[in-house]
Amino acid sequence: MPRTENTPQIYLSEDAAHWVVVAKGAELDIPRPVIPVTLHGQRLVLFRDDEGKLGLIGRNCPHRGADLCFGRLEDNGLRCPFHGWHFDRNGQCVEQPAEPEDSMMYQQIKVPMIPVVERDGEILAYIGEGTPAPEPKEGATK
Amino acid sequence: MISQDLNDRITRIGPKAPAGAVLRRYWQPAALAEELAHGDHVPVNLLGERLVLLRDDDGDLVLATRIASTDEPPAFYPDAKDIEIDKSGPVYPVENRKGLFFAYMGSGTPPEFPNFDCFRAPDSHVFAFKGLWECNWLQALEIGIDPAHASFLHRFLEDEDTSEGYGKQFRDKAADTNIPMTQILREYPRPSIEVEETDFGLKITALRALDNGQTHVRVTNQIFPEAICIPMSREMTITQWHVPIDDETCYWYTMFTSFQNPVNKDLMREQRLKEHRLPDYAPLKNRTNDYHFDPAEQATTTYTGMGLDINVHDQWAVEGMGSIQDRTQEHLGRSDAAIIRYRRMLRAAISAVEDGGDDLPMRGAMTPSEIVGPLSNDAIADSADWLNASQQADMARRAECPWDATV
Repeated sequence: MPRTENTPQIYLSEDAAHWVVVAKGAELDIPRPVIPVTLHGQRLVLFRDDEGKLGLIGRNCPHRGADLCFGRLEDNGLRCPFHGWHFDRNGQCVEQPAEPEDSMMYQQIKVPMIPVVERDGEILAYIGEGTPAPEPKEGATK
Repeated sequence: MISQDLNDRITRIGPKAPAGAVLRRYWQPAALAEELAHGDHVPVNLLGERLVLLRDDDGDLVLATRIASTDEPPAFYPDAKDIEIDKSGPVYPVENRKGLFFAYMGSGTPPEFPNFDCFRAPDSHVFAFKGLWECNWLQALEIGIDPAHASFLHRFLEDEDTSEGYGKQFRDKAADTNIPMTQILREYPRPSIEVEETDFGLKITALRALDNGQTHVRVTNQIFPEAICIPMSREMTITQWHVPIDDETCYWYTMFTSFQNPVNKDLMREQRLKEHRLPDYAPLKNRTNDYHFDPAEQATTTYTGMGLDINVHDQWAVEGMGSIQDRTQEHLGRSDAAIIRYRRMLRAAISAVEDGGDDLPMRGAMTPSEIVGPLSNDAIADSADWLNASQQADMARRAECPWDATV
């Protein structure tokens, strides 16, 4: 978990200038795969969910700002320890267990999400507006 | 979400800031009496001012201004012999209440102290302590008026033996049952929250409807401007101030108040000194060591993975928001009802002071000495009778109390 903040390297590929390396896949080979990532000044949290898929989402809970790097990795997502708000890998809030049973508020809550892919043992994030550029081809870093 | 301008307005407390002017209308905890062991000059860093507690020529304790370099750390605690007095600076009056020194840094005559239990109980029944949190005072206060978070942040995945719980929050049985408080909090995470404005601030009632037709009633309070009064165990309450050192750092000061038996101060101090260093009362678990976060513990024992001391959980929650929580990004829910109500009171008070008025809680036309209590307890009752049951439980405790706790 919390690790020394790394400085992302620019991903060197002619057709994928907007994909940057944010972590080595091996950094998530730990019992609780959750690490902080800072990308161009934006504080994020990277995690692997129960399906083995990656999520790179805003680090502060959109409720009252608690630090999701200390979140509970469970139920195929990341859960804020402050009030149990639960987020999937897309940053969508899927549960607010302290709110009334009939509350639909969670549907309106989303944390910023940065698209990520894993290639050649590296985890790459897409930076920039709009739809991600085509994913970098395998071996493009070689 | 609120605007950045409004967030600045309700959080910043320097001598020229509007919320600072509101806080200066009230007595502020400034130092523990035990800090006098440091010497005859005790550094005090309060509301953005660099001060020193000392005896004036008449032998009265006062806060004077001390000369400080601009790059001092917020909770800087120089040796008594290294403190230089700035004779051109303001001098503020100080009062000792049960081992806690309060200062009045506002203009005009200081108000009377309210007649709360923590001020009425004899010295033997009150224990005071403090601790440093590296964040703005308002987010520190707001976690204390948020009854829902206890079901998550302080969740224990297994219950401890409540007989080991002396001096610790939420480690007693709930009300007059054999159910551990931790079990109630864990199994009933969606309290219905009622908020009511009072002479002193807010009465906050969290209702947890149990499965058997009964309701768990937990009454906590906001005491204007920056304190809370909450139950700790069946015997003790916590009255806790979140006092700004500057805009980005604060101390909590707590008066633990016992109804029936004298407080075991040695044990209470020993428990807390294990978690803090002197002389600045900084917690040993903090941001620099990830609060001793243990993922294995988080998976099996506690919700946070940060040990059993709930103060550490709270500290993590509020420090992780950043030095001043960015409320332009927040999304408050129904569980935040008391926070929303409190901010409305604070904004009204800021406006009143800006307009030169004094129509604030426990000021203006109010007589603080007539303000007693507040009711602060847990009760379990038939759901139809919860309000009466909560009051009766409090009255029974007060009637048995060896000091005058009548309300």
